[in-house]
Amino acid sequence: MVAIDAHAVSKQYGTEIALDRVDLTVEEGETFGFLGPNGAGKSTFINVLLDFVTPSEGSVEIFGHDCQTAGVAARERIGVLPEGYSVFERLTGRQHIEYAVDSKDADDDPIEVLDRVGIREDADRKASDYSKGMAQRLVLGMALVGQPDLLILDEPSTGLDPNGAAEMRRILREENERGATVFFSSHILEQVEAVCDRVGILQDGELVAVDTIEGLRQSLGGGTKLVITVDGMENGTIEDIRAVEGVETAVTDGDSTIEVTCTNDAKMDILVELHGAGVDVVNFRTEEASLEDMFIEYTGSRT
Amino acid sequence: MTWRVVARQDVSAAVGTRSAKLLLGVLAAAVVMLGYMYPITGPDPITTAHFPAFVTGTLTTLVPFVGLLLSYSAVASERESGSIRLRLCLPESRASVVLGKLCSRAGLVTAGLVGSLLLAGALVVYPFGDLLLPRFLGFLALAALFGVVWSALGVAVSLAASTRRRALVLGFGVVFLFAVVWDTAVDALRLGLTAAGLIDGELPGALQFLVGLSPGRLFGRVTTGFVTPNASVEGPWYLGEWVALAVLVLWAVGPLGLAYWRFERSDLS
Repeated sequence: MVAIDAHAVSKQYGTEIALDRVDLTVEEGETFGFLGPNGAGKSTFINVLLDFVTPSEGSVEIFGHDCQTAGVAARERIGVLPEGYSVFERLTGRQHIEYAVDSKDADDDPIEVLDRVGIREDADRKASDYSKGMAQRLVLGMALVGQPDLLILDEPSTGLDPNGAAEMRRILREENERGATVFFSSHILEQVEAVCDRVGILQDGELVAVDTIEGLRQSLGGGTKLVITVDGMENGTIEDIRAVEGVETAVTDGDSTIEVTCTNDAKMDILVELHGAGVDVVNFRTEEASLEDMFIEYTGSRT
Repeated sequence: MTWRVVARQDVSAAVGTRSAKLLLGVLAAAVVMLGYMYPITGPDPITTAHFPAFVTGTLTTLVPFVGLLLSYSAVASERESGSIRLRLCLPESRASVVLGKLCSRAGLVTAGLVGSLLLAGALVVYPFGDLLLPRFLGFLALAALFGVVWSALGVAVSLAASTRRRALVLGFGVVFLFAVVWDTAVDALRLGLTAAGLIDGELPGALQFLVGLSPGRLFGRVTTGFVTPNASVEGPWYLGEWVALAVLVLWAVGPLGLAYWRFERSDLS
């Protein structure tokens, strides 16, 4: 069974294209990271999943239910942490969870849920007095109610401190082990790298890559990253390196460091090229390409 | 039926607010006060069936304000803050959210209205008046319908506006038009046409139907036609109480239906 199945989903606001024919399939049981810079269209896609937004063209299904024409059925088996929400004024944390329990017709114990997301002590405080991080935990708790088969989370670590973000990852991992499919968007690569089976990279509304992290690495020519320290750079040095066969990207980091992603075979050629250009190499080391490097490769920008 | 969950939660939140207590308190105080004054100042005979004609004037002014102010923010404020997203990412449809909100807000107004009318009815009966129960019960139903009309208009306004402030402005516009300006404008029209020699002090039937389309005038007409003993609505059939009742029901469902149709299709972002 497929958890999320999107067919050529487009969304246009006036002349601006927020989503451009996105095709995406998320299999049941996987953890999928939806990656892209701010404004790339991640939230628009999730809003289409939740029927907050109607796509201009295309359609998307959750467990076989069309998100627009059968929205309630589509949302029956999911738990959601949306973006741009606010908690209900005048309701306590416990009442928020109770509301989710009633609405999903579940039988969770609100206090247990609050305990799991780490805000048990604040159960009877008004949620409007919560900090952003606590609100985020509360809504995660609402999402966990009823043991959903699919969790959809939009930038889940927003407002969380590093500790909170780690706890969030732990909960997502537990949910995945229970059998839930996890789909979350993020612009923070470390998080995605830490928990995801597969990632999709969204850029200007277009899905530019969907693969496992290993697969993305391999598509980058073996994915070797070379960090070279030189005693000084001249104009044109970077261009010379880029011209070497097998080089994918070459960027400078300060005056004396060059970072190059390239095939394994190209490493020596680069050093020879530098030597030939009269640049003294002080030091060099190789690293496995991180997701961030791949991200730069695909989108041409840092997050 | 998740609208019940929405309604239950909304009632418990709304009932605790200061504005709800104040609005319902003013409404109840006014109605009970009229129930106290009517046996003293009203024309004979003093009965619970003649009492409605005594209170409709006050209700047509007061209920629009209370009904609209209690419901104009029902959806708009949640939309503005974003808490409606928390509702709609649960397995709830927009229809069930709107229905739940309507039941909650209309329930508050009608409960306040019917409760205070019962109390007023008791003051009418004791110590001077006569209890004419069927007609009084009929009036309670009509008053409840009138309360629902204004709550529904408030929720419609709440759906049509994307922010609370805009909903308030729009809502006041509607109340002002129908509860304040309408009667004055109709009088001015009548006087103007009489002065111009076009009519003889009375508007022609078709025009009377048109100016009688405001919820307040319809409420007055159904009260006269159905409740007040030995009274009847004069004029052609389309000015009768059954037509008025049908149009009043249309007020309860029409604007809300239109506003919902638009809301259902709009993006929430």
